Amino acid sequence: MTVRPPAGAWRQLAPATAFYLVFFGIPLLILLVLSFWRQEGFTQVPDATLGNYAGGLTNKLYVTVLLRTILVALVTALIVVPIAYVMAYLMRFRFERRANLLLGLVLISLFSGYLVRIYAWRTILGTEGLLNTALLQLGLIAEPITALIFSPWAVMITLVGLLLPLALLPISSSMSNVSRDHVEAARDLGSNGLRLHRTVLLPMVLPGVGTAFAIAFVLAAGDFVVPTMLGGASGGTMIGNLITNFFRSSSADWPLGAALSFVVLALLVIVYLVTTRLLRWVSRR
Amino acid sequence: MDPRVRSLLMARLNADVSRRRFIQGAAGMAAVTVLGTGAVSAAGRKPAGRTPRGAQAGDEIGGPLNFLGYEGEEAPNVSKAFLEQNGIVMQPKYIGAADDALTQFQTGGRGQMDLMASNKDFQRGVLDAGIEFMAPLDMARIPNAAGLWPAFKVAPWVVRDGVQYTVPLIWGDEPCIYDPAKWPDGPPARYTDFADPKWAGSLVWLDDPYTNIWLYGRSLGYADPSRITQAQLDAVVEAMLASKPNIVAYGASLGDMVDIMVRGDASMGIGGWAGQLAIAREKGKEFAVASPAVDGTFYWSDAYAMALDAPNPANVYAFIDFMMGAEPNAQIAAELGSGCTTAPAWDLLDPDVQELFPYDTVRAEDGGVLYSQQVLPPQQPDGDIVNTGAWTDAWQVFKLS
Repeated sequence: MTVRPPAGAWRQLAPATAFYLVFFGIPLLILLVLSFWRQEGFTQVPDATLGNYAGGLTNKLYVTVLLRTILVALVTALIVVPIAYVMAYLMRFRFERRANLLLGLVLISLFSGYLVRIYAWRTILGTEGLLNTALLQLGLIAEPITALIFSPWAVMITLVGLLLPLALLPISSSMSNVSRDHVEAARDLGSNGLRLHRTVLLPMVLPGVGTAFAIAFVLAAGDFVVPTMLGGASGGTMIGNLITNFFRSSSADWPLGAALSFVVLALLVIVYLVTTRLLRWVSRR
Repeated sequence: MDPRVRSLLMARLNADVSRRRFIQGAAGMAAVTVLGTGAVSAAGRKPAGRTPRGAQAGDEIGGPLNFLGYEGEEAPNVSKAFLEQNGIVMQPKYIGAADDALTQFQTGGRGQMDLMASNKDFQRGVLDAGIEFMAPLDMARIPNAAGLWPAFKVAPWVVRDGVQYTVPLIWGDEPCIYDPAKWPDGPPARYTDFADPKWAGSLVWLDDPYTNIWLYGRSLGYADPSRITQAQLDAVVEAMLASKPNIVAYGASLGDMVDIMVRGDASMGIGGWAGQLAIAREKGKEFAVASPAVDGTFYWSDAYAMALDAPNPANVYAFIDFMMGAEPNAQIAAELGSGCTTAPAWDLLDPDVQELFPYDTVRAEDGGVLYSQQVLPPQQPDGDIVNTGAWTDAWQVFKLS
């Protein structure tokens, strides 16, 4: 049986569709056109060349940074999503009466600006920061741990901290639709622990988990501020940093920047599709 | 510190690090082509306080003055009384990078912009490329500019083919900023000496390829570090890599550099600015600035220009002439922690402020180091000389190594 959308649904969707078309679709189209042009001195020259894509994909530096970005984003998402899942589960089934309060406490960090939160992590992780000061005062360390700040660890910790509230929302929303009766029935039938989650809960909240993964993965892959502010000298460059340079530096090359953007977009979509298919397969076994 | 001054300094410190060194402008022609020139012009046109035609055809002072440049260089504190007395309403828009102004100009801003403020390397690059952007100036309408130091009268970003296009406002150098409590002797004699293990865990560099490659190129003895071959660029990267183990972080901006040092995560910054001292002082830290004794450093300068087809040229001339007056020029230099550009202004500075910068440089008849020195490499390769693209790639390779 084919389910048709209710009458007038398209009319109701029209404002949002128009908004996305104007402020997302058209700029994306402009960028796509630009990716086939050439840069000559100060200006972009209309052309129909694949040179930017070829140049981006064959440049060892860009490929290295791109692969590193995918890896960092993947690891970040694989850390964030399980934590968010556990938090959502606990809020739904263990601390149900305090769920809204707990969710509010997690989301309250989103009320402050993005840059403010990054600086907050600097204050926490810094050589003279909160964490080192506490550890020194407790006598657990004799010298500050300098590896906590301006390192790949700092980037990872900060990304997890920044993205966890965002990932929690869709999983929490999906988890709220799971009836307690399903869980109890599954337990009654002998499904406990990990099996309960894998065979009962996860399939039911898979849309939320998939959305959480997409949010964490895409936002981590596109981030260029955290690596800049916390990556240090040991290598915080991600693909977003490279692309930014192409649009805002004395060696501006908008067509190349646009081409790299679409290469990144394609790769992110592929990784996302593969990961969600994998999740679905795991939940069906 | 006066909150307004602090706000101006913070904006300057947190601006894009390369704003002093960008020469590249991007046209945004994709929008024009896809959507049509008319649609984009209509979308880009903003109510910029145009002077009604006929009533003031640009020859009378008064009305709007549309400023596009670095925040602070529209001198709101210094020019407040002047603007009120002449009925001029400053309408500022700020840029983060120098090429932002060219982008805005070429995407609907022409005919909307009056006064611009940008850095010498960008302005020089625009003049070199022959791009229609800055209007030739009638210097008879800026009599106070006669007080400009000799270096600022003949510089290649000021005058071209006997025509003047810009009027320098402030200038300065790019020293190291350091914690004298930890490093009482200041920076070493050469930038390459930062490879010494004693600097481990101390260094913060500005995240800017041009600053660092130029400084290390100078340290390797290149006569003109802005014009080097690929082999020389590779040698510079090798020299920088020797210092890399001692680098803690790259400051995203001048303000970020100070923040890292104030937090105690670093104690020696390369590619700094005297204005950072004031911010550090406000946070309870006393830092100092100095340049390596042998290598020295490079100099920058920001200048006013009038946009082509400016709708209010009389206001532009009046304002620039005012800012070239002794007192305003001295005040803006002190406010922004920079050097003044006119001799009468220098006479009004406090002795300790007079000592901040090597004014003998700008008194030089041959134009001094500001005239001869260029930090940015050429936009396009010039024979064996590599271009800006090669420098930014080298910088990324350095950061990834």
